[in-house]
Amino acid sequence: MKDHPLSNCEEKFVLAAIAENRRFDGRGVYIYRPIVILYGHDRGCCHVQIGCTRVLAQVSCEVIIPKQTRPNEGVLHMNVELSPMACPSFEAGKQSDYGVEVNRALERLLRDSLCIDLESLCIMSGEKVWQIRVDVHVLNHDGNLIDCSSIAAIAALSHFRRPDVTVSGEEVTIHPLDEKDAVPLSVNHIPLSVTFAFFDQGRTLLVDPTDQEERVMDGKMVVGINKHRELCMLHVSGKMLVLQDQVVRCVNIAAARVGEITDLIKDTLEKDNAARKSGKEFGFAKCLADVILGVDDLLKHYVDSMSVDTTSVGQTAKTVVDADGNRVQMEVDNAETGNVSIKVPGTGKMSTNTEGGAVTWCEGEESDSDVILLDKNDSTSSEVSSKQVSAVVELSDSEEESVLMTSQDLERTELSKSRAIETRENRGGRCRGKSFGGRNRGKRGRGNGQRYF
Amino acid sequence: MSCLKQSNLRGFACEQSCLTRSDGSATFNQGETTVLAAVYGPVEVKLSKEHVEKAAVDVIYKPKVGIPGCKEKATEQLIKSTCETVLLVALHPRTAVVIVLQEMQNTGSLLSCCINACCQALMDAGINMRCLVCAVTTTVDQEGHIILDPTSKQEEDGKAVLTFAFDSKTNGVIMTTTSGIYSSQEYQECLLSAQHASAKIFEFYRDSILKKLSRVS
Amino acid sequence: MAGVEVVSEQGFRTDGRKPNELRRIRCKQGVFSHADGSAYIEQGNTKVLATVYGPHEIRGSRSKALHDRAYVNCQFSMATFSTGERKQRPRGDRKSTEMTMHMKQTFEATILTQLYPRSQIDIFVEVLQADGGNFAACVNAATLALIDAGIPLKDYVCACTVGFVDDVTIVDINHLEETNHIAEFTVAMLPKSEQFVMLEMSSRLHLDHLSKVMDMATKACKDVHLVLDRAVRDHVSEVWQQLGNT
Repeated sequence: MKDHPLSNCEEKFVLAAIAENRRFDGRGVYIYRPIVILYGHDRGCCHVQIGCTRVLAQVSCEVIIPKQTRPNEGVLHMNVELSPMACPSFEAGKQSDYGVEVNRALERLLRDSLCIDLESLCIMSGEKVWQIRVDVHVLNHDGNLIDCSSIAAIAALSHFRRPDVTVSGEEVTIHPLDEKDAVPLSVNHIPLSVTFAFFDQGRTLLVDPTDQEERVMDGKMVVGINKHRELCMLHVSGKMLVLQDQVVRCVNIAAARVGEITDLIKDTLEKDNAARKSGKEFGFAKCLADVILGVDDLLKHYVDSMSVDTTSVGQTAKTVVDADGNRVQMEVDNAETGNVSIKVPGTGKMSTNTEGGAVTWCEGEESDSDVILLDKNDSTSSEVSSKQVSAVVELSDSEEESVLMTSQDLERTELSKSRAIETRENRGGRCRGKSFGGRNRGKRGRGNGQRYF
Repeated sequence: MSCLKQSNLRGFACEQSCLTRSDGSATFNQGETTVLAAVYGPVEVKLSKEHVEKAAVDVIYKPKVGIPGCKEKATEQLIKSTCETVLLVALHPRTAVVIVLQEMQNTGSLLSCCINACCQALMDAGINMRCLVCAVTTTVDQEGHIILDPTSKQEEDGKAVLTFAFDSKTNGVIMTTTSGIYSSQEYQECLLSAQHASAKIFEFYRDSILKKLSRVS
Repeated sequence: MAGVEVVSEQGFRTDGRKPNELRRIRCKQGVFSHADGSAYIEQGNTKVLATVYGPHEIRGSRSKALHDRAYVNCQFSMATFSTGERKQRPRGDRKSTEMTMHMKQTFEATILTQLYPRSQIDIFVEVLQADGGNFAACVNAATLALIDAGIPLKDYVCACTVGFVDDVTIVDINHLEETNHIAEFTVAMLPKSEQFVMLEMSSRLHLDHLSKVMDMATKACKDVHLVLDRAVRDHVSEVWQQLGNT
């Protein structure tokens, strides 16, 4: 899909405004848009919004064999998905250049700066270690994806709890969550990124560019830094040339901003932990009901748990089933060629002798178990309403597909063999009953089902 | 005789127009299960997917963890067939309607939540539909009792999970998908209870749209 | 690998260099007769080969053509035998794509692309042996290849890696030092104007040391520039002589 192109007039207007140090949303040049952090019901699920940019992160863990070069270290795997819902030009599945850029930036920020102690993820050296997987989904793109993703990822990692493990000799026991409390990951420090957009050959700088500003910028610099003024990552992209003092200036501004964001993350984490401990509600649904996310309230609607009046359901259902049963019985009685035969609830059988005529190429060859004839006058079809599911016997000497029959069916076929000879002569051919192999036509509801699965 | 064990639907919540880049979007919550749906349409379509007489419906479902696999593709196909029935695709030939779904939280009844979110997003985008669609999940537990809108634990413990999608005009079944073993009596009971429940969901849709448009003169 | 000292008490590194010493750089231009420009560079044990084709007409999709500039197409690939363990994917994985993007960005900023609208310049770089500082060596090799091809540049692009460990800044990091999780800066700059074209940093570094590290990086790049400049002048005079002039 193509995205809306930016017109030349728009571009000129934005650049002219920025030259006067004015931004469209009235922010200062070094000010962030409002940041909202929400935690989900699952541990390790975090949703971050910077202005209109939205990102969802989820952390999960699994036990794997470690790398040979690092036998006593766990693995941290990052995956950023640019979903088509974020921007029409993002394609599902294929990773574009921009996707790789965001992925690598986040990998370097979190993995290479060792924000998680990997050695604590080791269970048995050289054999079993934890792999922590962070999946970041970009839901809406309004600029500054790298910052938003970094906040979401590190908040999710701090929020996550992994199952507790005990190692006794050679045996490793992973305790499920109801046995032992889950253990948090050991987070060494909280690295966050701050994005700067450069305009006018580096003379004007903006923090937290929106999508419009990103489209017209000369280049950008992403500074990864933590609260202790330690630089974790530096990334310059775009066709621009920077001077050393510009870099130093940006890094100092970033250091100032990061402190506020780290406090916000810690704050929200504490609130969420407190809510979980005190048994209050937590998760996205609760947050939707509470937090004003910068959109009109009219767009949100909420109802409490409702009860459904189902007193007559049991009776109506029985009537339907009986009526159905009778109808099927009548159809079976009246049908010229009994296509569908429902012998026992839960099984169905179909023959395809109405399509393309009778099979004639195996005439002369006859074995009792191969041929299943559907006899319209079968007297035992009145057992439709029986609830027992009889044992299913598989006859597999058919050349085509294996034929499944219930044991009751087998008895009936024996019975109807004598009748079969008469009807066969009448019909002048044999038909091979086909099993319902791949096409599972389960029971249909009484409604007008146009589609079924 | 089977009887209904739980005839309570969990609380619903929805938010429309939550995304800025797509034509229509909605978040739908059923209890703690949350799904975010975004709709683009009608937009240009690749030549290989183009239909001369109707719009091509493309559904992309993204799970929260891991890479999408066969199960996700199956879910996409179910939702696609449901939407193709409901949308008036003949009005927009040679175009595509792209629906993107993101699982945000799953505590049971995920497929029905997806379809409900889808319908709200399609309403938000304003694409012509012949009727609204809603879906309800039911479970038959080991004793044969029917549970409406089950949680994940109830789905796992039950012996069958049945999901039905209904249309708003005739309350007929548009889509059925089941897994597990159940008798025809149980099936009919599930279907009927789901139909009763769908009436509540359609009421909820109506209220949310009335609220959204209440300020518009 | 923890516990291996990067800089010993006497101030020497594992390969016997002092902290501010570059590895020996040997380079040669014009190694391929078929390409418009080519170069081979050895920085210590890191060996890189670069070839340049262009400017020529846009190949492939016409949509890439830019109406006012040339399109720079880069490809970074590491040979499967270049690392200690056989590398499964020579190109196409995340790290290689990132390197490709960085190179493209570096050279788009340096080449005077507005002289060749609607054309394409290809830069192919292959790492034959990786022993640390791969990207820096690639950028240096590509610069030499571009000069060999006669494509106008704003200035030489000199790249170098700088590390910081135990309060000591070390220059031109090799593979052994890289694996020790030290703070690593990869820098590409135009030496005359002291402008950075590309800056990448990984691992942790305290802000107070930043200026120190950047000054060291600038100096290292200028040293690399001296070496490359010498190599280019030697090559040009050699070619001049071969063409039958004194």
